[in-house]
Amino acid sequence: MRRYQDVAVRTAHLICPETDADDAVQEAFIKAFDALPRFREGSPIRPWLLRIVANEARNRRRSAGRRQGLALRAADAAPQRTAPGPEQIVMAAEERSELLAALGTLRDDDREVLGARFLLDLSEIETADTLGIPRGTVKSRTSRALGRLREALTAERRGADR
Amino acid sequence: MTDRRMLLDDHGLEAALRALSSEIDWPTSAPAAADGTPIGPDIATRVRARVASRERRPRRWWTYGGRPLRRGLVLALLALLGLAIVAGAVGLGLPGLRITLGEPPASVLPSPTVTSSPTGSRPPSPSPTLPPIAGMRLLLGRQVALEDVERETGVPVRLPKDERLGPPDSVWIDPAKGDQVAYVWKSSGDLPETLEAGVGLVLMRFDGRNEDAFYDKAIHSGTTLERVKVAGHDGYWISGDPHFFFYTDANGQFVEDSRRWVGDALIWNDGTATYRIESSLGRDATITIAESIE
Repeated sequence: MRRYQDVAVRTAHLICPETDADDAVQEAFIKAFDALPRFREGSPIRPWLLRIVANEARNRRRSAGRRQGLALRAADAAPQRTAPGPEQIVMAAEERSELLAALGTLRDDDREVLGARFLLDLSEIETADTLGIPRGTVKSRTSRALGRLREALTAERRGADR
Repeated sequence: MTDRRMLLDDHGLEAALRALSSEIDWPTSAPAAADGTPIGPDIATRVRARVASRERRPRRWWTYGGRPLRRGLVLALLALLGLAIVAGAVGLGLPGLRITLGEPPASVLPSPTVTSSPTGSRPPSPSPTLPPIAGMRLLLGRQVALEDVERETGVPVRLPKDERLGPPDSVWIDPAKGDQVAYVWKSSGDLPETLEAGVGLVLMRFDGRNEDAFYDKAIHSGTTLERVKVAGHDGYWISGDPHFFFYTDANGQFVEDSRRWVGDALIWNDGTATYRIESSLGRDATITIAESIE
């Protein structure tokens, strides 16, 4: 579990930033331990674990009620861990804020699928397993969520330019 | 730098989201100080201790819903959790509480480690980056004024009258843990530093009333438990390797006392509440301080 705890904490935080991700992951890992007899041998363990984490975080989100404020926050001094490659981009603080704010306006299912695919860098299959949706839904929901993110981003910029 | 226009197509948005990932203030799997230094065990270590502390199953291969598990599955399960055959957790019982101490893996022990001595102490070591408020890195909850403790928790303030201590330098309450109250004193010439730089003594009080004795000790633990008496009440002096605490309260609710490593500590119950003192003064001096509480 040590191998997966970092992505597990991020998964819990992505789904329910308002509650304690550490606590959610602890409970999820204990549930995973108890559920191991139902684990299909030979299946990949990471998405199985992350699905339990995601379910735990969703339960806490329901208990926590309405989302409040910005879902995800940028680090104070965001470290550039590695030099950007040709495919990578470096974001200006303003763009980062706009994108975070736009993400925060999305519906939970849109934010989850974009977060799983691009913030957590899960594959489509892993995203499907983690979020408990069919792989085809991951594709369609991702496309739809990108469109909504674009709209939200445009609205953010209009607001900032005023 | 991104071209704002590239965010208008899907590929540009995807690239921007991937870049954003490294700049989000993600929570971490182990508590860390502001400079990133780990100050407590990671989640896997804490989960391992929690699992190990649960009631022992019968001495045969584990069962699930009455069905015996396959040996291979059990081994996979243990490997998954990183559980050693002898679990690195110790449980001890005081009225109303079942407390489990989980020790950190040797590879992550803070340096220098605490030395175990009934009467010895560790001299304070100056730190260039002491936090401005004593105990602010200890994850003790919300800071309050001493005079507000009783109003906020309904519990009268009881403090040690030992001459080594003046009034506490900071006071904390944690409503999520049954209004746990923690009093923190800075380190000084009379009060050697604990594992936490700049902190000389921490006194914590939390509820616990029912009778539910439990005692268990894992072999090979680097943490030593010693039964002691504190003003006639049962208690334990815990020394040796740094450890961390969690406990099950009188209602069977899991409570994570803290997510940090703790050095030598005295824990006892006076029949109405459980107290814990973290101190590097050694066993006897710590008991003296505990017995001066009024």
